[in-house]
Amino acid sequence: MSDAALPKEQTLHDLYRDHRGWLESWLRRRMGNGCDAADLSQDTFLRLLASSQRIADLKEPRAYLLTVGKRLLSNFYQRRSLEQAYLAALASMPEACAPSPEQRWLLLETLQALDELLDGLPRAVRRAFLWSQLEGLNYQQIAERLEVSERTIKRYMAQAYEHCLLVDL
Amino acid sequence: MNSQTSDTRQAVRSAAQWLALLESGGANEQDRVNLQRWLDTCATHQQAWQKAQALRQRFADLPSGLALSSLDRPDPGRRMVLKRALGAVALVPTAWLISRQLPLDAWRADLHTATGERKKVQLTDGSSLQLNTASAVDVDMQNRRVKLIEGELSLKVTGTTPLTIQTKFGNVIVSQSEVCVRQHAQGCRVSVFNGSVQLQPLQGPVLAVRGGQQVSLQAVGAGAITPFDALAPGWREGVLMAKNQPLGDFLRELGTYRAGVLRWEPELETLHVTGSFLLDDTDRVLALLAASLPLEVHSRTRYWVTLLPRKNSV
Repeated sequence: MSDAALPKEQTLHDLYRDHRGWLESWLRRRMGNGCDAADLSQDTFLRLLASSQRIADLKEPRAYLLTVGKRLLSNFYQRRSLEQAYLAALASMPEACAPSPEQRWLLLETLQALDELLDGLPRAVRRAFLWSQLEGLNYQQIAERLEVSERTIKRYMAQAYEHCLLVDL
Repeated sequence: MNSQTSDTRQAVRSAAQWLALLESGGANEQDRVNLQRWLDTCATHQQAWQKAQALRQRFADLPSGLALSSLDRPDPGRRMVLKRALGAVALVPTAWLISRQLPLDAWRADLHTATGERKKVQLTDGSSLQLNTASAVDVDMQNRRVKLIEGELSLKVTGTTPLTIQTKFGNVIVSQSEVCVRQHAQGCRVSVFNGSVQLQPLQGPVLAVRGGQQVSLQAVGAGAITPFDALAPGWREGVLMAKNQPLGDFLRELGTYRAGVLRWEPELETLHVTGSFLLDDTDRVLALLAASLPLEVHSRTRYWVTLLPRKNSV
């Protein structure tokens, strides 16, 4: 009971002192890079500070840290893979069509936000949605490309809209 | 509170279905009447409908080609290693995969590449040999020897009869394995991608190096065996990868692919760079660096390029 009376920062401090080294080495083994691992382990503790989880109530703090850490790690790789695809696409564009250097990084941030928004959708649903939004294809054209029925595309699109709207809820 | 959330969820689901119905082109007059009635029912429905419109707007102003190749990248995103490997496949220029696989008919040949050039040949026994930029080898298939004179080679031997790579610092004996050897003035770096190779240093005992391991060879003998990421793409795929690498190191590497002078201010040395870059156009790599780091590219000519810290950068 006395623990619960402590301010959150204090218990977080203890948690940080006891487990940061362990979490960081766990992340480093997976990432093969000390700097990124240190950043992510800091982020993990920050998430904890921002969350409504009562730290003093954590029975298995390492299990909890690992869960948060894994999510951040997967997020990190997702952002990196998007960035690589983006840079490769930029590199293959004729100079005249490419966005200006200032726009490039704004655009990357926008794309990263949309990438997170779409995360979790099945591949076919995601593609149908992107073709519709970005290429302006109608459902019949998408159905032909994916070799499924138009009814399926309608279902895919409803699923994608619902998914995105729920994320923002 | 809870029922409100579930109302909102239900409204969002309906809005999504209405939108899909309208877009499908299959909505009739009665559907439109029903949609209007649904919207008039309550504010929650109207809000959900507006949010759905706003969502469409978020995609409307994007450059479609760029957005599509980024968001629809070939990335099933299950496992990290897989992710990295697939990322690499997506970057490999197809021209590099299909061309330059020239069969080498001659039993003996001197092969070399110019700065910035890469070459791939098939040897008479089916083994495959690649040369990186500014490299030279002598191939002698009668004695099953490949002599690395300068630069870097990659050798993949599928058969069981070994081929020997000779360097100034010792020999590498390769069979049923894949290895990269890079030679510079003070030594060699041997990186094994697959299988296992025998190393004969000029001094010291013979040692085995396995897939995922690399070792340096010097006049005084072999150094310690260290692990490396054998899945990461590299020059053989036409890619230069950097993972939080000091810019100085990255530029020294990039410079080996460029004819002419590439210089930079010492204060740029410690910036860090991450990304995969295509070696086929190193001018483009410099432009990408300038877009992502606080630096400017000054080129007097293609062959005289200086990187400077960007002025008025915040």
